[in-house]
Amino acid sequence: MRTVVLAQLRTHAARLIASTLAVVIAVGFVVATLVLNETSRSTVLDTVGARYVDAAAVVTSEGGSLAGDVATLEELSSVGAVAAAYETSVSAAVPGRPGSQYLSVQSIADAPQLRWEQLSSGRLPTGTGEVAVTDRARAEVGDVLTVSAYDAGGQATTSEATVTGIVDLRGDPEAGLYARGFVTEAQARDWGATGPLELRIAAGPGFGTDEVVADVTAAVPGDVAVRTGEEQAEKAAAALMGNATALASVLLVFGTIAVVVAGLVIANTFAVLLAQRTRELALLRCVGATARQVRRSVLGEALATGLVSSAVGVAAGIGLAALISAVAGSNSAIPLSGVAVPLYAVLAGMLVGTVVTVLAALAPARAATKVAPLAALRPVDPAPLRSRPGVLRLVLGLLLAVPGTALMVGGAVIQEVLVALPGGVLSFLGIVLLSQRAVPPVVAAAGRLAGRLGGVPARLAAGNATRNPRRTAATATALLIGVTLTSAFVVGAASTRATATAGLDAEFPTDVVVQSWSDDLPTSLPGTLADLDQVARTAPVTGADVTDPLGDPFYAHGVDAAAASTVLRSTDEMLLPRPGEVVLPEWAGEAYSVKDGDTLTLTGEGRSLPLRVLITGEDQAPLLDAGDLRSLAGDTGLAEVWVMLSETDPDAQVAGVDEVTDLVGEVAPDAQVTGLVTMRIELDEILDVLLLVVTGLLAVAVVIALIGVGNTLALSVVERRQENGLLRALGLTRGQLRGLLAWEAVLVAGVASALGVVVGGSYGLIGAASVLGEVGDIVLDVPWLQVGAIVVVATLAGLLASVLPARRAARTSPVAAIAAA
Amino acid sequence: MSVPLMTVPGEPPAAARTSAAVRAAGLRKTYGTGETAVHALAGVDVAFAAGEFTAIMGPSGSGKSTLMHCLAGLDTATAGEVWLGDTPLTSLRDDQLTTLRRKRIGFVFQSFNLLPVLDARENIVLPMQLGGLRPDPAWFDAVVARLGLRERLGHRPHELSGGQQQRVAIARALLPRPDVVFADEPTGNLDSRSGAEVLGLLRSSVKETGQTVVMVTHDPSAAAYADRVVLLADGRLAGDLADPTAESVLDALRGLGA
Repeated sequence: MRTVVLAQLRTHAARLIASTLAVVIAVGFVVATLVLNETSRSTVLDTVGARYVDAAAVVTSEGGSLAGDVATLEELSSVGAVAAAYETSVSAAVPGRPGSQYLSVQSIADAPQLRWEQLSSGRLPTGTGEVAVTDRARAEVGDVLTVSAYDAGGQATTSEATVTGIVDLRGDPEAGLYARGFVTEAQARDWGATGPLELRIAAGPGFGTDEVVADVTAAVPGDVAVRTGEEQAEKAAAALMGNATALASVLLVFGTIAVVVAGLVIANTFAVLLAQRTRELALLRCVGATARQVRRSVLGEALATGLVSSAVGVAAGIGLAALISAVAGSNSAIPLSGVAVPLYAVLAGMLVGTVVTVLAALAPARAATKVAPLAALRPVDPAPLRSRPGVLRLVLGLLLAVPGTALMVGGAVIQEVLVALPGGVLSFLGIVLLSQRAVPPVVAAAGRLAGRLGGVPARLAAGNATRNPRRTAATATALLIGVTLTSAFVVGAASTRATATAGLDAEFPTDVVVQSWSDDLPTSLPGTLADLDQVARTAPVTGADVTDPLGDPFYAHGVDAAAASTVLRSTDEMLLPRPGEVVLPEWAGEAYSVKDGDTLTLTGEGRSLPLRVLITGEDQAPLLDAGDLRSLAGDTGLAEVWVMLSETDPDAQVAGVDEVTDLVGEVAPDAQVTGLVTMRIELDEILDVLLLVVTGLLAVAVVIALIGVGNTLALSVVERRQENGLLRALGLTRGQLRGLLAWEAVLVAGVASALGVVVGGSYGLIGAASVLGEVGDIVLDVPWLQVGAIVVVATLAGLLASVLPARRAARTSPVAAIAAA
Repeated sequence: MSVPLMTVPGEPPAAARTSAAVRAAGLRKTYGTGETAVHALAGVDVAFAAGEFTAIMGPSGSGKSTLMHCLAGLDTATAGEVWLGDTPLTSLRDDQLTTLRRKRIGFVFQSFNLLPVLDARENIVLPMQLGGLRPDPAWFDAVVARLGLRERLGHRPHELSGGQQQRVAIARALLPRPDVVFADEPTGNLDSRSGAEVLGLLRSSVKETGQTVVMVTHDPSAAAYADRVVLLADGRLAGDLADPTAESVLDALRGLGA
């Protein structure tokens, strides 16, 4: 039989193109998902967690200095090297640039294996008086910076430092926030660094991570945290991304769906292939092949097809991921750089493709063994009629759909994607099973309507479309899946976008913040800044010392709520006090033992003012109404200026931040300019990349669906060859015959896409609710125009898929069709 | 027994020209080219009179089905001409041929005569509906009554016996009052009683309404129902019997070496 299998594959390679393509696409889908998942994971770890990933262990302290532990740790035999993280901040003037800018300084490790900094030029500093900086500092190698460091009392000391290199932070989304400097430990301490609060530890030769972590944990005090480098990197990534697993969850959803799609389409394709070959199989039986041999030959063919196309699919998936990574990674910071191909992705692709192909071929193979040897001698059997949908299927469908839907909705309510996802898969499988019951009546109803419009061909098409419910359901299911996926994604993406944009605006409501070290910003600054082209509006934030109820000095900021709210992108997470109110961060509320709604009395200049307390989760200075603060303190200085940029285009906004930085450097050299907008832009780009990735994968699902529709129609044409011949003999013109098939395609595709949009839209909303619930407040959004377009495009796609089979049917002469009987 | 063949190429005799429902002249059908060419029809001149029941007979491979397909506009001839009444068929395009079949030709095939998705009534009116025509209710009732289908109109083909299915096919063929009804082995799949019934119905439609029927068959007893038998062998006319009986047909066939 092996020779038969091989001969079949050789002879009918063209026939197998459709099924091969379906497997290749599906496997490519899975592999690309896994590869992109791994790539984004490793990219996030590489950028945000870059300094931790190579460390065997990381020790962090919540408050107490770890300086005393360094020597102890260095003596451990499993420890190769220890790098203490000293951090401070200074203001630095770059030659040729007006004013000075804020520079966040951190120490570099002495041990080479703990140095993570990537240089785009120059080298890392080797002694005091040297510094390496990031791009954001806009300095060049060889520049001598004038650095002002401030001690605890606010006293400035000035020194000079030569730029030795430029550090490339690559995709770190915080890279654009402010400039960073990298110096030796000694230099960092000279510039006022205290601590360290963090130690990074490299393993000694021959020691594993587990041993290092165990030894370190035993050696340090119990109140500090010891993590592996990997854990610390993931923690850092999670802190930045909100929740790094949300990304993985989204991709996991699509990966799972891809496998389901693949299985259904492959089963469909094999059913078509074997139906076209009934007589060949019967002939094999006639010449002495046992039913077992026939089944094995069919499964052998499936196995060979599965293996070959899975291999192609794995390659295609990796290529697709590389392409997406290259396209998305070049203009975006995160989360894709290069391609990380994990072995499990390759194995999973091969396994899924092959196993799904063979499993999907089981039912058709069983049907093939039922072919009687006589079928080879008889004229083609009349097309099977009125296959009855089984009760088993109905029961199974209900058993899957009802609890599955409940689980999915429950998962959305408790906002747990790992509950909603299996619920979604179960309910979708249930719906696929039930579609055999649901689709034919809907098609019949639509067919009656079409019969009035399209005459006899439409009426015949409606009859044809409903005569084999299983076939119709199979055709519809292929498209239903594609449409469900697409609309689930479109609706889910719209909600993701809306939620994320709202979340980002709420998280970073101010485009740019100008802060001073003391309350001495020139009072003209808000006006000067507002005159800049790139600046839309500004709002001043005053600052002054008043006295708290305990009699201690109490430093507070003052804003005019009306003016401030015009420069904020969102006030969802930003509490602005009205007259008579004070916004306190949580720590201050605890210090004064006041809760939301309590009264806190502040005094100053002999006056005292009872204020209603609002507690905010944000870590910010206590905030009063500007008028209240002035009446208490008498005299206030300008502490901050909040700036809203006029442009919304990311590049223009970055330019806007630079313009503000330049101006502030001139008029207020000590002020720090923080471009929160760049943070927002970076995170926005992450979302864009994510949406782009999934759109690419989904385009593929629609192609799979098209193949499915084309296959099923081709099967219909093969089976109804005689019928179509009879119709032609009785006076059906070629055009009418093409119309007949077109109507059938439109009926099935239209019903499938309408149902798919309803089902998919619901899945999209529920999915978005369950995934995004972990991230923040949900904003649900249904893009009606796109949803409508999906129905139209899917119906047209079905029509398109009918063109080739219809041409073939119309070309067959009536005599040939009848004579074959 | 055998009468002289019509051997004048091109035009049939003048007597046949006026009353012929369908006729062919110099009809050739060749499959393949060169040495492998097979001449299914090697030059056939034949005419079928209106209001007559003619059977075309011949051994397997004699070309009788090909002849019928060419006469009915289902297949195109390699050479020669076919006239349906005064309409020459070979110059017609596919769509024109299709419309012509719809209106002027009825078909009864051996098997697979009916569309499984339509019930008996819908099957009967199908050709007229394809042309956007409404059948004359009185004529519809008359046809249905004659074929004994009144109780079966709402049944789908799989709910009907083989004989009933053939009767539905005959009703469909008769309803548009076509110039010719072509029947291709209409009794091939039936038991002898049902077969006799179907042949009787074809015969009575000729006698009672003057319908022209041309039937292809290899069964001498079926051919005996016809007014005339045309014998075919190796793609050529090989005999012509008037008022045939099963015996005379058998004799003629033996003469062909079949």
